[in-house]
Amino acid sequence: MSEQQTLENRLIEATLRCVARWGIAKTTLDDVAREAGCGRATIYRTFEGGKASVLRATLQHEFVRCIATIEDAMRGLDSLEDILVAGTTTAASFIAGHDALQFLMAHEPDAVLPHVAFDKLARVFDAAALFAEPHLAPFLPEAEVARAAEWVTRVVLSYALAPTTLDLRVESDARRLVNLYLMPALLPRAAVATR
Amino acid sequence: MRTICKPRVSEPRPEPSTRDGVLAATVQCAGRVSLARITVEEVAREAGVSRASVYRWFPGGRDQLLDEAITFEVGRFLSRMADAAEGAPDLSSRLERSLLFAHRAIEEHEVLQHVLANEPAGVLPQLHATAPLVLAVVRDELAGWLDGVALNEGVDREEAADYLARMLLSLVVNQGSWDLTDPAEVAEVVRTRLLAGVLE
Repeated sequence: MSEQQTLENRLIEATLRCVARWGIAKTTLDDVAREAGCGRATIYRTFEGGKASVLRATLQHEFVRCIATIEDAMRGLDSLEDILVAGTTTAASFIAGHDALQFLMAHEPDAVLPHVAFDKLARVFDAAALFAEPHLAPFLPEAEVARAAEWVTRVVLSYALAPTTLDLRVESDARRLVNLYLMPALLPRAAVATR
Repeated sequence: MRTICKPRVSEPRPEPSTRDGVLAATVQCAGRVSLARITVEEVAREAGVSRASVYRWFPGGRDQLLDEAITFEVGRFLSRMADAAEGAPDLSSRLERSLLFAHRAIEEHEVLQHVLANEPAGVLPQLHATAPLVLAVVRDELAGWLDGVALNEGVDREEAADYLARMLLSLVVNQGSWDLTDPAEVAEVVRTRLLAGVLE
């Protein structure tokens, strides 16, 4: 990792800790600088555009980290069931264990929801589909892949944001959900019947 | 072939001189002016009651009005969604009617669309706060629909109702790749996705 990247990552980590503590509105660049142990000028040199630019980089970084965490968990698995269990468990754990995101959902939802609710959800579906499609493609007819990815995304978002009877972070719960409800919804009926 | 009733979207609003009428008037005002600028005076005028009556029903004033108006409108939506499914012959057609109705009701909800387009941050946190309640109401309704229906081996009725409620609401919030104005597509999503693992 280059020195520049190391500095960027340090500032992003510091931003995440500040947001998890105070939220977005109350976090200042001075807070981030203090948390990262550097000066404000360093932040401006690293992220031209100041606070908005730091926040954008942090969001981008966390999105990439989420995808990488899920990919790691799915690596080497060779059945659709195992891939779905690992993917849903890891995604749900990532969301529930993300302190900054959880703080915002609890105390500053107006900073998150306008970007992901109603018609804006389409962007989330698109991003998730782009990631999930190659993992689902080996197991499904080509025409089914995009909608299967969308269905998995719906399931993960719904259960991860508000767990009730099934907690997807728990592997046995995730496996139950995958086997009883998710797999039959992904595979065409005939394929399920002959399994 | 089953016939799908055209869902009812318009419903008479409650008499304006009641407490509910004041809440309905608040919703109407929200569609006309910005949420940030709604006043008790304006709501009272819209409802045809005095300012004093509004404060008698809502001692918390404007903030209480806005909070309760959102919950009121969500409740009205849910009961109309249940009404839309009434009389349907089986589980699939109940779900189809609910989806057709709910999708259209959201799309055609002028106040909601106005607020989402102009000041989403002013309404989404409150709407989101109603999510656990909405999920519980829909889940309970669906659990009733699953009574006496033959379920797939291993499927638990309450758990299946929870899953169906979540996926139904997910589709209502955003239809994704499905065209929920088309009864044939609605029937397909219900048969191949929603109920695929649930029914025997």
